[in-house]
Amino acid sequence: MPMLKMDNVSKIYRTGLVETRALRDFSLTVDEGEFVTITGPSGSGKTTFLNVSGLLDAFEQGTYWLDGMDVSRLSDREMSRVRNEKIGFIFQGFNLLPDLDVFDNVDVPLRYRRLPAKERKARIEKAVAMVGLSSRLRHLPSQLSGGQQQRVAIARVLAGDPKLILADEPTGNLDSAMAREIMEILEQVNEAGTTIIMVTHNPEHAARAHRQLHIADGRLVDFERITPFPLNRVERTESSRQVAG
Amino acid sequence: MEFGPIFRSLLRSRARVILIVAEVALTLAIVANCLSLILDTRAQLARPSGFDDEHLIAIQTNPFDDRLRDQKVLDRLVDQDRRTLATVAGVRAVSHTGLRPWERSGNITAVRVPGTHGEPARTQSAEADPGLFDTLGIPIVQGRGFTEAEYDHGADAPLSEVQPVVVSRALADALYPNGGALGKPVADAEETQRFTIVGIVDRFYNPFGNTSEKVMFQPARSVGFDFGSRYLVRTQGNPAPLMPQLEKALLGVEKGRFVQLRTLVDSRDEFHGRDRLLVASLNAVMALLVLVTALGIVGLTSFSVAERQRQIGTRRALGADRLAIVRHFLLENWMVTSFGVVLGVLLAYGLNFGIVTWVAGAKLSLATVAAGALALWTIGLGAALGPALRGARVPPAIATRNV
Amino acid sequence: MLLYNLRLAWKSVRRYPVLSALILLGIALGVGVSTTFITAYHVLARDPVPGKSGSLHYVRMNSWGVADDPFRQTPPPLITWRDAQELLKSRVPARSTATFASRGTVFPPDGTRPSRQSLRLVTADFFPMFDVPFRYGGPWSREADARPETVAVISSALNDRLFGGANSVGRTIRIEKTELKIVGVLAPWRPRVRAYALVSDPLGAPEPVFLPLALTGPMELRPAEFQMSWRTPAPGEEKLPYASRLLVNEVLFVGFWAELPNPESVRAYRSFVDAYVTEQKKHGRFPHPLNNRVTSVLDLMAELKVVPPQTKALAVISLLFLVVAALNLIGLFLGTVLARASTVGVRRALGASRWTIFVQHLVECELMGLAGGILGVLLSLAGLAVLNRVYGDGPKGVAFFQLDVPMVLAAVVLSLLAGAIAGLYPAWRICAIPPARHLKSQ
Repeated sequence: MPMLKMDNVSKIYRTGLVETRALRDFSLTVDEGEFVTITGPSGSGKTTFLNVSGLLDAFEQGTYWLDGMDVSRLSDREMSRVRNEKIGFIFQGFNLLPDLDVFDNVDVPLRYRRLPAKERKARIEKAVAMVGLSSRLRHLPSQLSGGQQQRVAIARVLAGDPKLILADEPTGNLDSAMAREIMEILEQVNEAGTTIIMVTHNPEHAARAHRQLHIADGRLVDFERITPFPLNRVERTESSRQVAG
Repeated sequence: MEFGPIFRSLLRSRARVILIVAEVALTLAIVANCLSLILDTRAQLARPSGFDDEHLIAIQTNPFDDRLRDQKVLDRLVDQDRRTLATVAGVRAVSHTGLRPWERSGNITAVRVPGTHGEPARTQSAEADPGLFDTLGIPIVQGRGFTEAEYDHGADAPLSEVQPVVVSRALADALYPNGGALGKPVADAEETQRFTIVGIVDRFYNPFGNTSEKVMFQPARSVGFDFGSRYLVRTQGNPAPLMPQLEKALLGVEKGRFVQLRTLVDSRDEFHGRDRLLVASLNAVMALLVLVTALGIVGLTSFSVAERQRQIGTRRALGADRLAIVRHFLLENWMVTSFGVVLGVLLAYGLNFGIVTWVAGAKLSLATVAAGALALWTIGLGAALGPALRGARVPPAIATRNV
Repeated sequence: MLLYNLRLAWKSVRRYPVLSALILLGIALGVGVSTTFITAYHVLARDPVPGKSGSLHYVRMNSWGVADDPFRQTPPPLITWRDAQELLKSRVPARSTATFASRGTVFPPDGTRPSRQSLRLVTADFFPMFDVPFRYGGPWSREADARPETVAVISSALNDRLFGGANSVGRTIRIEKTELKIVGVLAPWRPRVRAYALVSDPLGAPEPVFLPLALTGPMELRPAEFQMSWRTPAPGEEKLPYASRLLVNEVLFVGFWAELPNPESVRAYRSFVDAYVTEQKKHGRFPHPLNNRVTSVLDLMAELKVVPPQTKALAVISLLFLVVAALNLIGLFLGTVLARASTVGVRRALGASRWTIFVQHLVECELMGLAGGILGVLLSLAGLAVLNRVYGDGPKGVAFFQLDVPMVLAAVVLSLLAGAIAGLYPAWRICAIPPARHLKSQ
């Protein structure tokens, strides 16, 4: 079953008289468990794609199924719920809430899900442990390094146990050592079964995915190109190829 | 709800929180004390005289013509005046009396039960003719009023003679706490003159000195060249249009004198003028203060919303719907306001203590403080609502906007 | 540099018009409300006889006759005619006067219909003691008091009415049955607090006619404002001529003032009054223990609560209002200033020192403070106009509460202070942040 399926989605931005078509008849299918990277020049529509696929932004035309559900025309409330329960975001700027400490930051999506306190606490501690920051639970974002902050952001995603992770240049603001660390965590998460779509500028990181997509001018190009995989990813690759084909 | 995280995050944006808390606290302290002063003053303003104020005119006449220096002429003039005023169409009752309702003026006398010692009772006293009670509209509830004969004789009565008096219920109770004042004797503080209570009236209130409810009426025709004579006229309808006619009638009787007329409502309004002004001032101060504070909260919350656009976007991305954002800001604001309210309650009592000690006024009642606190909570929420709604309109896509 | 800063401030006002209007309104309301009520307080509470209030003393003696009434253990606010006559003889005070208000019919010289006027009976010393300003002529002499001469001093308003505003000194008016020669016409005079009438009607307007106290008996002038008596007239007393009655009755209606320039003279005068009362005790008067008061104007004002407590409370409350308005400003300034953090970053990067930035923002706050203050003064004029509708002397009368120069200056200083208080913290915040952070975040 595809995790994400877009059919001829178009997204237009209007500012005054200028009309920008950020996505043009965009179609894409991503399978459950896939790790897809998206590359493309600035202004190509990568972020718009992330916004649309993450239900952060509405789109004009086309249809979008997420986890088997038509999410093309949902109310704000329904979209919020889908974002909360099915999607996890990782941002280039980390987007931690600066006034909240690590624990409270990871807690945010769980609060919106109205989970009981006990369960929230268990999930938070587990997720923070997974990213190796258990000793920093009461630290503020400003007291952490960039890599640590991004790990908190990942913990925030993990605590919510989403089906789809959308990562927007998660390593863009990090040095290479930290970036590698983050990529490793993401790969572990993907291995555990979570679908990941990641926008990146870094060709090396892009190459580590099952599938590499390229966006230019609001369209997917080079759709068929398949990159070499590390050995342990072969089985998955097979399945995704089938679907892609 | 997210009390914990919001509380912890508030502790970290000190400047804004301190400002709102201080503003709310001071506002509450001021509003509560203004309210208290207003309630205190309004209670006095609302107190009715018990008289038919709306239909009464007070007339002061002062002779200047030398012919009127003769007391007999003046006495006759009073009787003529009374008759003449009563014949003016629209006049319901007329009285010749020394009572000056709502004018902060009159006589205060000390009286006691004959043969007792210690502090005498202080009471207003006024000369009255038989028509006074009907004119004021205060019925005699016990005993009787005065007769024409008593009135006629009163001014010339020797000190040794026991005079009939009508007293208010408050004076009767002060003199005879166990009741049964009717028919009992009263004397002035030095017991040079004695009176018998022949009648009791209820509903007397004329603020003057410290004796607002106590009065003792004596039957006497009180008139003199130097102080003139005074009449109260009760009209059937609106008294003001009748004044020119009454003036003309009196000058028609005798023009060698000044005649001044004034409705009791005018006197009462002047009496209350400064208190009304105080209430109006306090109301204005409260309203403006609340306006300023509300503007302040709107401003600070707007800034905090503007400053946190990205955070709002992030929260939206993490699954907050619009309502959750509104709720977040309202809750945050409510918590800050609540700190302010708690501090404000303390400040209000402090300020009240200062005002009561150094200036004057009543102690703050719990209900007043509670009303003030409730008002500020409402205002705080109301002021935060606009910015919070604006916050809810922040598009979630802002979260992915890169620096 | 100041000019440049002012221009920057103006630019930022233009950039945030709504916010700037709110800030302005906030200061204006704060200054307006506090100036209004502090002026009301100030007008009532300030020294009613500038420079003299320390030396003018009011005299009270406990002449109550009834000893067993607790109410009568404090001395009455007025004294008797006969005691006033005795006190006037003392040469301990530099000047002294006894005074009360009466009413009488004033007959215009042209024979038109007379009018009933308030009269104030005083001695010659009254005028210099209370700094009464004259337009024509002057006070009568002490000799005129002694004789007494039938003279009068009239107010400028009465002079306008009776003599069309001309110099009427030397002309005569008739009051009741007496022809009086005008020796002085006052300049327009409206003390807000009549120091000489503190116990009866301190906020009233001065009387239009001033007469020698010694004319009271001959003219048979009765007290019009306030009198008290503890004694019913003895049989036959009523039949005496008025002047003689004044010397035997115990009616309290005279206010007595003594000018005592230094503490020694106050002490000396106190012993004089005590000695007088002790002497009177021999004649069976003053049955209460010695309890005389010699009180300065300001002390008496405080004792009599001439300033209504509510006015005081309002002044306090309105000052707190200003504090709230200032807090409000801190918040709003903080917001605007931090919103401009990035431009500050650019300025810093272009070489502006921390101090320059600090001054720039402070200038902006002060500018707003000053503008708000001016607006606030205008608002307070409106506020005072409302107050004057109740306190003023009739529709065309004198405005009771008026802003004076010190109050306007105080208002401007207050607004600058509010601007400074409101501006310091935001200005400090903005200049304390390292420039790099502003640059990066945009």
